[in-house]
Amino acid sequence: MSVTPEILSLVDPTVAQLKRRQIEGTKDIALSISQLLMRVISTARWTNPYDLIKIIRKVGTILISAQPKEVVVGNVVRRVLALIRDEIETEATSSSTTASASKDTPMMSSMFSLLSTNNNDSNSEIHHQSKKQSSDLRSIIIQGIRDLIDEISNVNEGIESMSVDLIHDNEILLTPTPSSSTVLQFLIKARAKRKFTVLVTENYPNDIARARKFVKTLAENKIETVLIPDSATFAVMSRVGKVIIGSNSVFANGGCLTNSGVANVVECAKEHKTPVFAVAGLYKLSPLYPFNREDLIEVGNSGKVLNYDDHKLIDNVEVITNPLYDYVPPEHIDIYLTNVGGFAPSFIYRIVLDNYKTEDTNLE
Amino acid sequence: MSAVAEKADTKDQPVKQVKKPEASSAEGTKKLSGKELKELKKLEKAAKRAASKEASGITPEEQKQIAEQKKQKAKEAAAAAAAAAQAHATNTNLKKQLNQTLIKDKAAQKKIPALFSHLETREQRNASSPSISHIVHPEILTLTLKYSTYKIVGSMPRLTAMMKAFKIVIRDYETPANTTLTRNLTGHLSHQIEYLKSARPLSISMGNAIRWLKQEISVISIDTSDEMAKEILCEKINDFIREKIELSDQLIIQYASKHITEGSTILTFGHSQVLEELFKYCAREQGKKFNLIIVDSRPLFEGKKLLHNLIDTTIGDDTYGQVPITKDHIRVQYTLVYSLSSTILEDVDCIFVGAAAMLSNGRLYSRVGTGLIAMMAHSRNIPVLTCCESIKFSDKVQLDSVTTNELADSDDLAQDQDLKKPPQKKSFALEQFLKAKKEAASDETNNNNSTNTNKNKQQQQKQKQQQQQKDEENKADEEPDVPLKDWRTTPNLNILNIMYDLTPPEYINKVVTELGALPPSSVPVILREYKNT
Repeated sequence: MSVTPEILSLVDPTVAQLKRRQIEGTKDIALSISQLLMRVISTARWTNPYDLIKIIRKVGTILISAQPKEVVVGNVVRRVLALIRDEIETEATSSSTTASASKDTPMMSSMFSLLSTNNNDSNSEIHHQSKKQSSDLRSIIIQGIRDLIDEISNVNEGIESMSVDLIHDNEILLTPTPSSSTVLQFLIKARAKRKFTVLVTENYPNDIARARKFVKTLAENKIETVLIPDSATFAVMSRVGKVIIGSNSVFANGGCLTNSGVANVVECAKEHKTPVFAVAGLYKLSPLYPFNREDLIEVGNSGKVLNYDDHKLIDNVEVITNPLYDYVPPEHIDIYLTNVGGFAPSFIYRIVLDNYKTEDTNLE
Repeated sequence: MSAVAEKADTKDQPVKQVKKPEASSAEGTKKLSGKELKELKKLEKAAKRAASKEASGITPEEQKQIAEQKKQKAKEAAAAAAAAAQAHATNTNLKKQLNQTLIKDKAAQKKIPALFSHLETREQRNASSPSISHIVHPEILTLTLKYSTYKIVGSMPRLTAMMKAFKIVIRDYETPANTTLTRNLTGHLSHQIEYLKSARPLSISMGNAIRWLKQEISVISIDTSDEMAKEILCEKINDFIREKIELSDQLIIQYASKHITEGSTILTFGHSQVLEELFKYCAREQGKKFNLIIVDSRPLFEGKKLLHNLIDTTIGDDTYGQVPITKDHIRVQYTLVYSLSSTILEDVDCIFVGAAAMLSNGRLYSRVGTGLIAMMAHSRNIPVLTCCESIKFSDKVQLDSVTTNELADSDDLAQDQDLKKPPQKKSFALEQFLKAKKEAASDETNNNNSTNTNKNKQQQQKQKQQQQQKDEENKADEEPDVPLKDWRTTPNLNILNIMYDLTPPEYINKVVTELGALPPSSVPVILREYKNT
């Protein structure tokens, strides 16, 4: 089944925006994707809910190919797919009162069903739904997406509430991700109960402007703030109590993708046995595994590293790269703080299983 | 800088207090306002300046006269003050005001995070020096300026420049009557060193060299004539530069060049004199081709300096034309500290770092960022080598980078967001000079209206206001949009700009010195041997 022109016309503007990077920040991307999917579901015509799943998967692949390195796009699509699948399942169990209903939903993760045949596909053909049912389903799914949007936009609240338990008075914290609004809110919230000092790295050259804004905001909120150059992290690390990092996306193995320069800092923290907290909304958790790290990391304008005006230097330098992201391996992070609680990196795969269906890990 | 002005003010204080009653008696019962006080201060300064100029005999006669008038006035004032009760109400007020401003200024200056508040800031350094500036040799003045603007940076270039300057100082030195060179020269040099310290604290190597020089001065017999003694000292300094710096570097380069093999990938951080020579030597003399990754950091961007110097070094003969060594022999990759953890370290064979000092517990004291790089290399099993002349060895022990460090100007980090150039600092002396010029000009106009009526005063005030406005406008023009321009006045906001960090010995595989290559644990051995010779 192919995507109809109406749906394509809905998707195209967002694809263009993603390609042009007009939507900045993972949160905004997640919100716009979920809103787009809501519109797609309300316009799409389908009789069988599995057709809807196919449409969403198609739309998902289109969106992901628009900005392949932004994992959040795929996350949101998968969350919506899981939502639809959950609805179908509950519908199935409630409509069929026969004993076979329990057999219809086999425990995928259980060892008992390893040898049993999976008859999901036949399932879909059995359930011919009436028009009324499908419109009910539609409204339920849309309500589900509304809840998802709520969750994404209020992601900071859940994380903030943990701040007081993790910071003690007069502690020195270090954050290498001045672009993260979650970290900012986390610290501001903690300031209400605790007095502490925050060291902020400049993250030159990609984040320096944001770092300056970040330290200003922190200082305005009566938090003792110190801006340090990236090179000074090793020198001050022995005095730092905790490192707090924001993340762009968290992979199922517990590793995460964050601003470039963070991997240095967390490695340094590891060396000094300083605990590292990563804050991440649930929507950043991805069911993917970071198999090829070079593919994950996007590179930016190398003119920021060595100005193009310096033609003499440019002429004589073979390679200049400006990576925009860093991959942080799970062993360098102690705890992930999400809006549903704090988890060790080794447990992230479980949270991922709770929120996504394994069928959707690969959308193509 | 304002600290200097403060000092001057405090010096002026007693005289001013003396002046007050005279002024009030002249103007009747009317009490002095703040503005009038300021004017008085200015007059006082002008008087001082004129007096000093008079002493040096440069000034035109006009100014002399004015100065004399001022002196007379001051004398009169003193008399009047003696007559007036010492515990005059306004007197104490004035004191209070001065004290308050002092404290306020200090609060503004002390913008260092609590963690590093024990370190001396640039302002504090400046404040401690100027009282002796009149006996400082001009060569030392220029050197101080070059240090503070980072024109000369890196411990070896600094050491070489200092020794050369000392040679000139010694050559121009004349023993005052009733003393001997052996006794007095050390003191004279101490004053120069004091002043030199106002730019940046002495490096370990400079400290070692100064100790050596003082030792050499003290062993000169009293019977040698001044001329002879100076000759001997200059010769010794020449030998020192040759032996401890130039020849040492050559030896180190020979030892270290074994580690750069054809086709290998070398990573280096910032700029080090001996490493620069090493890379040039490998490319030019040995004809090796290798990859060089230069890691750079804010705010000094010393890696660019290394790159520039490498590009300026050419190879080839005149028939085929000279080609920079970066074209054929050294493939350069330039990065900043932040991108280290990505793929860069994957194919590095060896890391060379410079040194500011080698401490006796085996730790390496070097440009901030070295520790980070050494740590990352260590965890990836990449050997880390440091090239360090034995003059940089110190018997100090230190465990972390926080207790002893050097604070650089935080403004370097607050500005130049888009410019990737090293900070262009306005020189301290130049600013002082301009200020003095401006004040002198305004004082002259003041003096012209010495028979000032109230009207004149008002006009002056207007003029001043206009001038101030202009000044402010100029300032606004000079500094475009600096986001953290007002960081000093923002409460809770600090910027930390330290110069050095400490690399633990376990990250360092080899220390290459002119005495051979050794592990960091052998530093105290070298120190013992070195002291014995």
